[in-house]
Amino acid sequence: MADEGQQQVDKAGRQIFKVPKEKLLEFMRARKDEGFNHLSLITGVDRKDHIEVVYHLHSVEQDRYIVVKTTTNNCTVPSVTSLWRSANWDEREQWDLMGIKFEGHPNLKRMFLPESWVGHPLRKDYDLGNVQYINMDEDGEDYSTFDPGDGW
Amino acid sequence: MSDLMQLNMGPQHPSMHGVLRLKVKVEGEIIREIEPVIGYLHRNAEKLCEMTYYCDNLVYFDRMDYVASMNMEAGYLEAAEKLLGIPPPERAVYIRTIMNELSRIASHLVWAGAFGLDLGMLTPFFYCFVEREKILRIFTESCGSRQETNYFSIGGVYQDITPEIVDHIKTFLSEFPRKLEDIYNLFAKNDVFLSRTRGIGYLDPEIAIQYGVTGPMLRASGVPYDVRKAEPYLLYDKVDFDIPISKKGDSLARFSVRFEEIRQSIRIIKQIIDKIPEGPFFNPKAKKPMMIRLRGDGEVYARTESSKGEFGVYIVGDGGVKPYRVHVRSPTFKNLSVLPELAKNQMIADLIAISGSIDLVFGEIDR
Amino acid sequence: MTLLSTLYGIFSFLGHYPGYAVSYFIEALLYLIVISLLLIFVIYLFRKFMARLQLRLGPNRVGKFGLLQLIADALKLIGKESILPKERDDLPYRVAPMIVMIGLFLAFTILPYGSLIGIGSLTVTNSAVSLLLVFAVIAIMPLGEVLAGISSHNKYALIGALRSIAKDISFEVPMMLSILAIVMMASARVPESLSISSIVSAQFLPYAILQPLGVFVFFTSMVARASYTPFDMGESDSELVSGFSTEYTGMRFGIFYIGLFGSILLGSTLVSLLYLSGYNGPLSTEAGVVWLFIKAMVLVLISFTVWLSMPRIRIDKFVNFGWKYLLPISFVNLILTGILTLGLGW
Repeated sequence: MADEGQQQVDKAGRQIFKVPKEKLLEFMRARKDEGFNHLSLITGVDRKDHIEVVYHLHSVEQDRYIVVKTTTNNCTVPSVTSLWRSANWDEREQWDLMGIKFEGHPNLKRMFLPESWVGHPLRKDYDLGNVQYINMDEDGEDYSTFDPGDGW
Repeated sequence: MSDLMQLNMGPQHPSMHGVLRLKVKVEGEIIREIEPVIGYLHRNAEKLCEMTYYCDNLVYFDRMDYVASMNMEAGYLEAAEKLLGIPPPERAVYIRTIMNELSRIASHLVWAGAFGLDLGMLTPFFYCFVEREKILRIFTESCGSRQETNYFSIGGVYQDITPEIVDHIKTFLSEFPRKLEDIYNLFAKNDVFLSRTRGIGYLDPEIAIQYGVTGPMLRASGVPYDVRKAEPYLLYDKVDFDIPISKKGDSLARFSVRFEEIRQSIRIIKQIIDKIPEGPFFNPKAKKPMMIRLRGDGEVYARTESSKGEFGVYIVGDGGVKPYRVHVRSPTFKNLSVLPELAKNQMIADLIAISGSIDLVFGEIDR
Repeated sequence: MTLLSTLYGIFSFLGHYPGYAVSYFIEALLYLIVISLLLIFVIYLFRKFMARLQLRLGPNRVGKFGLLQLIADALKLIGKESILPKERDDLPYRVAPMIVMIGLFLAFTILPYGSLIGIGSLTVTNSAVSLLLVFAVIAIMPLGEVLAGISSHNKYALIGALRSIAKDISFEVPMMLSILAIVMMASARVPESLSISSIVSAQFLPYAILQPLGVFVFFTSMVARASYTPFDMGESDSELVSGFSTEYTGMRFGIFYIGLFGSILLGSTLVSLLYLSGYNGPLSTEAGVVWLFIKAMVLVLISFTVWLSMPRIRIDKFVNFGWKYLLPISFVNLILTGILTLGLGW
């Protein structure tokens, strides 16, 4: 386990493994076979020149907790939905807010924002001055627009 | 499959606990497909947190799980104080533990009342809210606010508690258990309630872990996992309490696990209410004008047990006075994601009994 | 001496038939007003009773003890805009509330009420088959609910209407069977055993004592007929928003609301007439209506308690309950009644 990634420890004393993107799926599958059956969270950190994707794995039976990190330059990461079902919504959330494209995700739609939203709000270069308005179309689906419209 | 009728439940629907929208395909009364649509209460608290000082972020956390705001504050501070290196003094830890558990009781009471309403029981709702109001009165006395308390602050609590407040908590603790049993019996001795919840929405422990379900929902499926025991924070390693579990995994099990948790919370508070040590209630490093100058570096993840489940806060600092990145692991977000699995091939009436048993609070799901 | 003959005494100058026609019309109008006031009283009672049960105060701002709250609410409902859905079937949509209202008030004019000192008998319609007539009339009311559900072209309303139908057919048969047991018992003593007033006079003991199973089945059916919790699957507010009345606003919705309380009052009155010896009481028969009122109000309060303390039953479980429990119970009741009437000669 140690040779597959560099180890570190964060301020709360958790082990951190840094894994290259290409080996991520393989590494994760091995961890799952080890008994890490609970994918606690997936999140991303925008480091301006690259995006860091963080996975928190947890084994309920053995009560072990590790952090797996990978970096990406082109915003794509392999999806882990095939290993943990909870990754489905987590990856959709990260795609929505952080703009990380998870390759192989069965249904990569935005989680919170409407499908036509422009940009990903948690990116550091997201323009907060550009106001978008949400409206509802005839079928009851939300859409976003830059046009304030009459209702607003 | 032309027999399927699409039914759009929510976001304006009496029992969707705010703004959940379910796209349901029904065949008569039986649900064949179900897709939750969320985001109607989305404020992007994570982005807002990046824009304010470490000490101000508590305001956004209060408004996540607005029925158990102390749980949210405790979760954030658990992470932020580790990052900033400002531990709270002993007295503040005691106060926080007491308030945290009171908040958990209040949250479970709200849930029980709303669950009754979902099933068509009007009366227990008011009984629950009367008891909750007494807790909120204690909050008001200690910090001046009922729901979004903003009571805990970095390095301690905002205000010290007075002996009168301790007395009021004690009075509450002596009167509440009897009232709690009354409320419990209103539900648990009602045959119609039992027939509506027993065996409804069975959640297999394997599937629960796969979906990341935590909290009372996971414990009702028979997995004895509680962050308060697994990774103790505040005073939870010094007090004696049990993790209530049930092997049944249905809505009734979730109901009884939550009520047992209330009893355990009472037990916890009773153990420490008399032992609150004298001393300062905040860390002098985090005095009022200094608070906004606190700088954090590195990254930290802290998990706590909120009334809904495992609540995690991930903070990355870049050495500035504002966090670089904040991520919140919302327990109800994960708990809700298992709903399509539970409600498939059930009746519409059961969908309400299942979604009600999850304990949805949309401030936290949509963040 | 009846109310009708008193009124005829005033209008006799018009001649025999026109005089009776006018006095009958005025009598019916009087009943309409009295029943409406009574319904308002029942709603007020419900709100106060509910508040007591739920540790609240209830209406207490408008008028003394909130007595004028209901009038204010009615005025608000009348003043509200009635929003009509765009894709409705116009005629049934408008007719549906009226059907509920007509069925309710017609049923009230058929019931016997006993007598009151100074006025005499208060019964409006004396019919030899008033029992059948009452059940024929209140069978109209579900029709209004079904029409409302289908004509408003709303999915919730449609599901609500379907549930209403499923509910109605599962309790109607046991209800009528328990009525049959009463008719059997009454026929041994009085000639016109299909008339409610003869059934009341035949009760030397309240039938609730002789037929405990029958009163259970009938009261349960009346709860289901009025459709409040636990049997309000048709309009279950937490599942189907408001069921068949989802698309109704303003006074049209108000009519459904009044219809609900009217059904409770009607059911309680029917139970007290058929099973609790109606307007006959231990003291005086001169003021029988007072006895009837007291009995009906006690039953109304029991209904409210059931309403406020029960969750909603799932529709398939109710259908099960109707066919697997209520129906056999009512058959057993029928057989027991036969043994009591023919074998023991009660």
